[in-house]
Amino acid sequence: MNNTWGGMAQYDPVTWHWVIAVYLFMAGLSAGSLLIGISLRWANNELSTGAESGILKAAAIIGPVAISLGLACLVFDLTKPFHFWLILIHYNFQSVMAIGVLALLAYSPLAFAYAVLVLRDDLPKWGLGFLTPVAKLLMPFRKLIEVLLFVLAIGVGAYTGFLISAMNAYPMLNTAVLPALFLVSGLSAGAAANALLALVMFKTDSHDKTLVKMHGLELPVMAIEILLLFMLFCALYFKGGAAAAALASLSSGLWASVFWVGVIGIGFGIPLLFMLLPAATRHTKGAMIMVACASLTGVLALRHFIVYAGQSYLS
Amino acid sequence: MNKRYVMVHDENKCIGCQACNVACRSENGVPEGVTRLQVRVEGPFGEMPNLHFKYHRVSCQQCEDAPCVKVCPTGAAYVGEDGIISIHTDKCVGCMYCVAACPYKVRFMNPETKAADKCNFCKDTRLARGEEPACVTVCPTDALVFGDANDPHSEVAIMLNTKITYQDKTHLGTKPRVYRVPTKRGGIGL
Repeated sequence: MNNTWGGMAQYDPVTWHWVIAVYLFMAGLSAGSLLIGISLRWANNELSTGAESGILKAAAIIGPVAISLGLACLVFDLTKPFHFWLILIHYNFQSVMAIGVLALLAYSPLAFAYAVLVLRDDLPKWGLGFLTPVAKLLMPFRKLIEVLLFVLAIGVGAYTGFLISAMNAYPMLNTAVLPALFLVSGLSAGAAANALLALVMFKTDSHDKTLVKMHGLELPVMAIEILLLFMLFCALYFKGGAAAAALASLSSGLWASVFWVGVIGIGFGIPLLFMLLPAATRHTKGAMIMVACASLTGVLALRHFIVYAGQSYLS
Repeated sequence: MNKRYVMVHDENKCIGCQACNVACRSENGVPEGVTRLQVRVEGPFGEMPNLHFKYHRVSCQQCEDAPCVKVCPTGAAYVGEDGIISIHTDKCVGCMYCVAACPYKVRFMNPETKAADKCNFCKDTRLARGEEPACVTVCPTDALVFGDANDPHSEVAIMLNTKITYQDKTHLGTKPRVYRVPTKRGGIGL
């Protein structure tokens, strides 16, 4: 529009785009996958030196790879990507992003160290045999690395929610449930990706003990996710004003379709429908891969919905 | 005593001519396509014949509790000793967290410096020389008044004490330092 006062392009309330949604997804996926992998290892009382489960191996790969991809998205979305080091030397501790940078600085190298440790027997197969001595060196510190990584993964998973809920400009983002929603949906994505990689890459049997245990987590995690989404929308509705107006994103526009088709239909609907199938069918490799892909799509759609619909409505 | 620089925009006197907008661009070398300041002419509102327009100054509100400063990870967005919110261009990585967090949407990425940019009351140029911001000086109807509200004898302090003013989005707790004198309904009276 040709206004006397000039262009309006810079006033678009949607500041962050899909690259950031993908980053939020990757960070949640990385944290969720490691949280699930490590919890199941603890739950099974696995020995430090015994064979690693396919699920843990999958988590050990997804953890560092997903966070690296996410951080690459983040850095190349900066207007000055080659000045990213500025964010590593200047810290404002009031800023959620600065705290996140610190958490990621500790989390990312630990995730790589843990990968080397868990995948020690596979390294030579992939031409990474030179890392085997590193794995041996790290072995005595396994418990320490695991505990630190677990705590940091909770931090990283929730941090992405705190990051965008810190902005009171946007009523849909500025809610207390967002960090919890992101952490829990990260678990959902993590479980799905662990299953996918374990089945495809490590040829884990679909009746594997750890895989079955992880499968059992999917329904409760999904139930909490649905509850948190319901709480988010109720909070907006009862707050009224601009917050209630933001609920229009559920009934009109592209992001309504992304929510109902992507988040609800694919992300929750397909896995829930598969649970109704006879056990013999739903425990086949093909069915499990399909459910995992549906869950991952749902979580990716949720990040996009929250990022775009959330920024579309101002307080 | 600390300075408390404020600006008052009298929407009765404003005619929406954009002289402030142009002066700001020239003084601060703001590139094409982006702007630190615009006056949007909104309306008409009301029933014939009692119509009125709203002249809405859109620029940094110089919040006393600024969301942009809180979210900036590197401290590039900062509060100066004079209380003015400004940007260390060389500390900005361009994450755009401040642009997203600003409830007034008055921060933007400068296409030349690649850093966040916005109004700083001409802090480094005219204010440093003891002059008023470019927009205030150039305004043909004297709709803009600028000064230190902590000085009880300043024109802005007297205005804030005697005129009805409002600020944008006070419910967010940002304490904006741009005050507005609302348009009177039913004819012009200065």
